Amino acid sequence: MSGTVELVGVTKRFGSHLAVDAISFGIGSGEFFSLLGPSGCGKSTTLRMLSGFEAPDEGIIRIAGQDMADVPPYRRPTNIVFQRWALFPHMSVEANVAFGLEAEGRPRAEIRSRVGDALALVGLSGFAARKPGQLSGGQMQRVALARALVKRPKVLLLDEPLSALDLKLRHQMQIELKRIQQEIGTTFVFVTHDQGEALAMSDKVAVMNAGRVEQIASPQELYDAPATRFVAGFIGHANLLPVTVDGVANGLAMVRLGDLHFAAALRETSIGDMPSGEAILALRFERVRIGAGPAAEAAGAAGAGVARATGVVRQMIFGGASVQYVVGLDAAPVEITAEQPHGAGAPVFAQGTPVTLSWEPADGRLFKA
Amino acid sequence: MAASSRRDGGAAGRAKAERSAWVLLTPMCLLMAVAFILPVGLFLLYSFYRFRGGRLEETFTLETYWRFMTDELYLITIYDTLQLAVLATLLCLVISYPLAYAMWRMRSPGLQKLIAFIVFAPVLVSVVVRSYGWTVVLADQGPVNFILTRLGLTSGPVSLVYNMTGTVISLAHVFLPFVVFPILASMLRLDPTLREAAEDLGASWWKTFRSITLPLTLPGVVAGAQICFTLSLGSFVTPAILGGGRVLVLPIQIYTATSDINWPVAAVGGLCLLVMAFIAVVAFGRLSQYSEAV
Repeated sequence: MSGTVELVGVTKRFGSHLAVDAISFGIGSGEFFSLLGPSGCGKSTTLRMLSGFEAPDEGIIRIAGQDMADVPPYRRPTNIVFQRWALFPHMSVEANVAFGLEAEGRPRAEIRSRVGDALALVGLSGFAARKPGQLSGGQMQRVALARALVKRPKVLLLDEPLSALDLKLRHQMQIELKRIQQEIGTTFVFVTHDQGEALAMSDKVAVMNAGRVEQIASPQELYDAPATRFVAGFIGHANLLPVTVDGVANGLAMVRLGDLHFAAALRETSIGDMPSGEAILALRFERVRIGAGPAAEAAGAAGAGVARATGVVRQMIFGGASVQYVVGLDAAPVEITAEQPHGAGAPVFAQGTPVTLSWEPADGRLFKA
Repeated sequence: MAASSRRDGGAAGRAKAERSAWVLLTPMCLLMAVAFILPVGLFLLYSFYRFRGGRLEETFTLETYWRFMTDELYLITIYDTLQLAVLATLLCLVISYPLAYAMWRMRSPGLQKLIAFIVFAPVLVSVVVRSYGWTVVLADQGPVNFILTRLGLTSGPVSLVYNMTGTVISLAHVFLPFVVFPILASMLRLDPTLREAAEDLGASWWKTFRSITLPLTLPGVVAGAQICFTLSLGSFVTPAILGGGRVLVLPIQIYTATSDINWPVAAVGGLCLLVMAFIAVVAFGRLSQYSEAV
């Protein structure tokens, strides 16, 4: 990793509130890197420290190998796309995009050609003379992108730029952003609270919570191997079940949930130095299979180590492509949600139907309680 | 059925809302009719009367209008009135914009409130008291001249009072809040991320100010200037006291004419003021349209 951006022990306090707590990580050159977390987790503050609008209380920020401590925003090799885009309302699209180059004192001919290129890149070539007030949300978004990219920053910072768009447009812009990033190869640092957005676009995602980085990984790794209970609950949908670990055998933890006994795959990262006692089992909705009544129990008895639990459907939530069932277990006072793809002969279970849930030992992940 | 009855209800509701709007407007309409339209109509009538030998004659003549357009005394008066309004407005703007900017950027709300109070204070003081105060401060032996002489900036006292200078200073002083607060309001309305965006794009403070802050706060500047200009046109006590008879403005002339029962001159002078104020309002309106459109 060539490390375009490096943060070492970066801490930021607002009064007594610790917004960012000693975070350290590096972002590789040309990476699409997302900072993902719930609101107030410190992701926007981190972005503002990269841009220079906030100064860290402790720690070092290096961009392209240079310490940014005394570098004001207007001298940093970074540019921001703001959340509400912050286009200059009194200037045309062209003047908005040209602003940064004029500030640099570039020759007029160069400004003209670079502005033209930037507008072409975002697909707004015919809109140069319009005012921001005459544009749609998606178009304003593109102008903001062009205005930042025309400066050819080493790192482009994006502060939840898609959150003000409606769903369809947001999906369209996700694809568009990814295309542009691949085309120009600039490092993107993208702040979002939308995990779907982060997973869809990023090469790497840093999941933040309460000022700390919980995990930095590729989207697939985050999904398949969440490092912490927070990540397991935040990425995708997971049942977080309070279980007791009775012991370890053959790399499997023997787990108890009420009267239900089953095995869960043990990973060093997931349980650490605590192989027994109270724990949390994270079980993704879509990994839980659902079958009709006790009959399924007999039919599937062959699978070794497969966890099996009977229960009653308490709620059925139809989501189009998939159906979610909230099932109350017989063996323990807990509810487990199972998600099944809809259609292709999959049966639909009405509320009150007795069902059997099953999952593989490898589907659950154990975390400290 | 349900839809049509709802539509009827909507129409009835609208008519009702319109009626109550008229009820609310009635006091204002009555006031305007009695205190503005009626006097203006009477003035218009009087302006065509003849005044001869200290007596008013009800015969139609355009003589007074002709005198206002040709007699040097009246031309000087109109010129002085405009000069006073323009200078007071300019001085007000020059002081107000940096002041409003400082208040806007200030981090301490306490200090901001204190400055707002100081700016507003002159309005609380009677215009007569304030004007006499200024004559003392600006007098040849007053503190301002004392300091100027002591600092060696001038060899002797500068005449700051009983002329246009003192009048402009005093007017700018009292009209300051009418200019500062509209400008401050336009600054507070400005989205702070716009300035951050400009800074992020590499703009210096000056470039950000010139291309973002100033153009976007121009509507406040225009609104403030409009108020200051029209109020200055109609000022009477301040030029009467601080002008020392050397600042001939229309309101003073109108006052003198009415005490001589010279209604035609007073009427034409008044209409003159009205036309000037009207032109100013239209011109400033154009300017603010332009500044909002850019």
